[in-house]
Amino acid sequence: MKINHLPDMSRRAFLQRSAALGITGALAPWAMQLSLLGEAAAAVTEKNVDEADYKALVCIFLGGGNDHANTLVPCDAEHHAAYAAIRSSLALDRELLQEYALSPRSALGDGLQFALAPGLAPLKPLWDSQRLAIQLNVGPLIVPTSLAQFKSGSVPLPPKLFSHNDQTSIWQSGMSEGARSGWGGRMGEMLLASNRESSFTAISASGNAVFLSGRHMARYQISPRGAIPIHGVRRALYGSPRCQTALHQLITQADPNLFGNEYNRVVRRSIDAQARIDQALARSPTLKTVFDENNPLAQQLGMVARMIAAHAHLGVRRQVFLVELNGFDTHDDLLERHSELLPQLATAMRAFHDATVELGMEQNVTAFTASDFGRTLTSNGDGSDHGWGSHHFIMGGAVKGRQFYGAAPAIAVNGPDDVGQGRLLPTTSVDQYAATFARWMGVPANELAQVMPNIGNFSASDLGFV
Amino acid sequence: MSSASELHPRQSAISAQQAARFLQQAGFSSTDSEIAAVQKLGYANWLDKEFARPISESNWNWLVSMGYDTEEFKSKGFVPPAHAAIWQRLITAPDVLRQRFALALSEFFVISIQGTALPYRHFAMAAWWDMLCAHAFGNYRDLLEAVTLSPAMGRYLNTAGNQKADPAKGRQPDENYAREVLQLFSIGLVQLNPNGTPRLDGQGRMIETYTQEDISQLARVFTGWVVPAPREAEDPEFARQPMRFIPARHSMLEARFLGASIPANTDGFKALRIALDTIFHHPNVGAFFGKQMIQRLVTSNPSPAYVARVAQAFDDNGQGVRGDMQAVIRAILLDKEARATPAPTYGKLREPMLRFLHWARSFPASAEDGKWNLGDLSNPAHALGQQPLKAPSVFNFFRPGYTPADTAIAAQDMTAPEFQLVDEASVAGYLNFMQNVIARGRGGVKADYARELAMAHDSAALVQHLNLILCAGQMREETRNAIHQAIDTINVNDDKGKSQRVHAAIFLSMSGPDYLIQR
Repeated sequence: MKINHLPDMSRRAFLQRSAALGITGALAPWAMQLSLLGEAAAAVTEKNVDEADYKALVCIFLGGGNDHANTLVPCDAEHHAAYAAIRSSLALDRELLQEYALSPRSALGDGLQFALAPGLAPLKPLWDSQRLAIQLNVGPLIVPTSLAQFKSGSVPLPPKLFSHNDQTSIWQSGMSEGARSGWGGRMGEMLLASNRESSFTAISASGNAVFLSGRHMARYQISPRGAIPIHGVRRALYGSPRCQTALHQLITQADPNLFGNEYNRVVRRSIDAQARIDQALARSPTLKTVFDENNPLAQQLGMVARMIAAHAHLGVRRQVFLVELNGFDTHDDLLERHSELLPQLATAMRAFHDATVELGMEQNVTAFTASDFGRTLTSNGDGSDHGWGSHHFIMGGAVKGRQFYGAAPAIAVNGPDDVGQGRLLPTTSVDQYAATFARWMGVPANELAQVMPNIGNFSASDLGFV
Repeated sequence: MSSASELHPRQSAISAQQAARFLQQAGFSSTDSEIAAVQKLGYANWLDKEFARPISESNWNWLVSMGYDTEEFKSKGFVPPAHAAIWQRLITAPDVLRQRFALALSEFFVISIQGTALPYRHFAMAAWWDMLCAHAFGNYRDLLEAVTLSPAMGRYLNTAGNQKADPAKGRQPDENYAREVLQLFSIGLVQLNPNGTPRLDGQGRMIETYTQEDISQLARVFTGWVVPAPREAEDPEFARQPMRFIPARHSMLEARFLGASIPANTDGFKALRIALDTIFHHPNVGAFFGKQMIQRLVTSNPSPAYVARVAQAFDDNGQGVRGDMQAVIRAILLDKEARATPAPTYGKLREPMLRFLHWARSFPASAEDGKWNLGDLSNPAHALGQQPLKAPSVFNFFRPGYTPADTAIAAQDMTAPEFQLVDEASVAGYLNFMQNVIARGRGGVKADYARELAMAHDSAALVQHLNLILCAGQMREETRNAIHQAIDTINVNDDKGKSQRVHAAIFLSMSGPDYLIQR
């Protein structure tokens, strides 16, 4: 039976729900999928929900592969010179960086000092107030891998390196394209027992991505403007109440065709969730924090902030969110495009953090960045090409900020961290990065492998940044 | 009727339902006259007639005829005429098979208007569509070259402006096109058997088709090409010419990839020919390309044998020619698996843009002001979530191997690419959009329901008619009854009532799985 494959925590949640819904015997196979239970979860009344014990994890995905080398830039004379010599046409001016130089609680060795790209200025105060940390050179690995091992092929490597869709999938799921579940979804699934409403555990305000799919739990998709009502089932259709009823039947009933049945399942979730979200949002505080109308990432994060504000009314204590900003595949026009993208990213992140402060929930919300891959340190004239390891941000009140985590890579072509043209061999794995968030969310150490299957290959499962 | 006889339509009559089903795979709609043509000619002859049909008026000429070629439309950001040009062509052009296949090709060789900042961008998009149409019934090799040298593709995947390495500055060639032409436009990431399944090594692992080194070397071939800067483009003409080649910017280093080698100091045009020939002759192409074309036109999960038959047609059209698109199209649409009575797991989710085109062609839509201002329908929450030539990335709107997690589709190890567009927001967006567009049209584009209004008094006849032209006769009895009983309650004593009944019948017919799943 499928249920046997569920990890312990999810199985407990499943059994509790089955019992509460009276789903037993012949009906049970219908209820094998936890998301189905989510559709009927309004019937479940859970006692002793401590609403203050709430945690939300927000993945900010930078679609296309962010150029990490122009995001976090060396600004001491020696290292900036090395950086500028390698990517002359792309290098940011050292003078412009000084205002954004980062002073960590413990200094990096070798006199290395990093600055934020000027476009990220809104994040600087968060760093200074220890709300922002930076994970250096993180990327997909199966086992810890040295450059010699990479070159000789003596250890297993992630498949299809440098390919957008596959590395996106590996970052989000641990597997190349075709993966059926992501670590955000698996983590949410393990924490389902916390939530009265399982359907609002994993929520995307961006597109469809594997990150939020659980093994048995579907993600919920919300538009940046909220849940979309289906007008035809809410009012008489073209003036006809009977047509309204017929529409509801046609778009929600079980269907003998495999695809048709799955489509109608999504429609049922859409109708059911929309009503409950609208209610919950109406009963929740209105945010004063401004999310820029013209910034697509800010719009998504604004919706996430509203959902977090409504968490008590939605009956959830653990949530994982996904938002996305696209356009980072900067083969051309890197400087021009980064000067648009990085301010969008930073203002959106800053507004989101401000909103969590406004809600008094900054300790309960952690956001982090992820991306397909880092990029080459070398230039192709006016851009850079697909790489591997990259630097990423972790933001929130619970974050142990104003600190770098992991090892700073050498700024060199053919250096000790370079697999070609300055593509970084990661020194921290995505499994470790993810496991650290999973620990914070409450996944027990002995169940981390359910979230990230390769975590046992690495000595540290908690990187300490949150 | 046996499947063998279905392959020889002259020997047996084609039912209206069978003709409609074929037309919805091969085109956009199945009106009464289209059905009659297929019944008269048979499937194969209908295809031959479409192959011989003249190409419809180009998007380029339409833009010129509308006066969109003046200086005021040069600005990079001005795109509405590009959308209008494509919509009007897809809705009105008589060469339906060519347009349908061009649309399928546009989801394999992907560019997006978003990433193609060129002067006269609408002409660059028009030229791209016209190019796909010009090669849709030609040869894959010619298409691959036209794709590679197109200014739109050059801008989208960065061949335009790509230069040879400069060791002094640390500059390397841009690898974007070299990577995607292999991964997406020809051979894919892993070696394939002729039936499209992955080849496995001795340990049961898939075998990758190329390495990073192949990409870095192939990238040298795609250096030296340029498009005009905005100030140099005095008119749109550049957009339908191949990119310009500047020998001094081209890498003259040796390039080794996929087991081939282009010697140092090879002329840039010759190097390009060798590279594209090498890609074209890779054994993966037939199955990799053919399977995705089957998925676009017929079904999400073709059997390996079906893929093998299409790949075989790609490899050799029967006269020793490789890459003949007409042979591929025939193999896809005349295959016994395409024509047989479908099983319950057969078929695919209709793409939202195909549903919209189906509506627009079934109830012939026209633009009252001739402008076709349908605009951009890519917002999933408020429109279709899809717009021709506006995929979110070079990976198209959805991936050929996509499977929605936590579904019976996943449990059966099946793929459902179009489901990548399906979520709680987009299903609502589609219904709301269609409810509105059926009754009111959009941007001055309105349907003509004369035929349906004439039968509005007879609900049963109306439903039966819609069942045929929209669902190829596959609407279940329960669905027919539900629609019939519901629309029957609308009073049709006046014109308003007749319109309401027709609108409701069409919307209800296009709302549920009997329509949404094309099988």
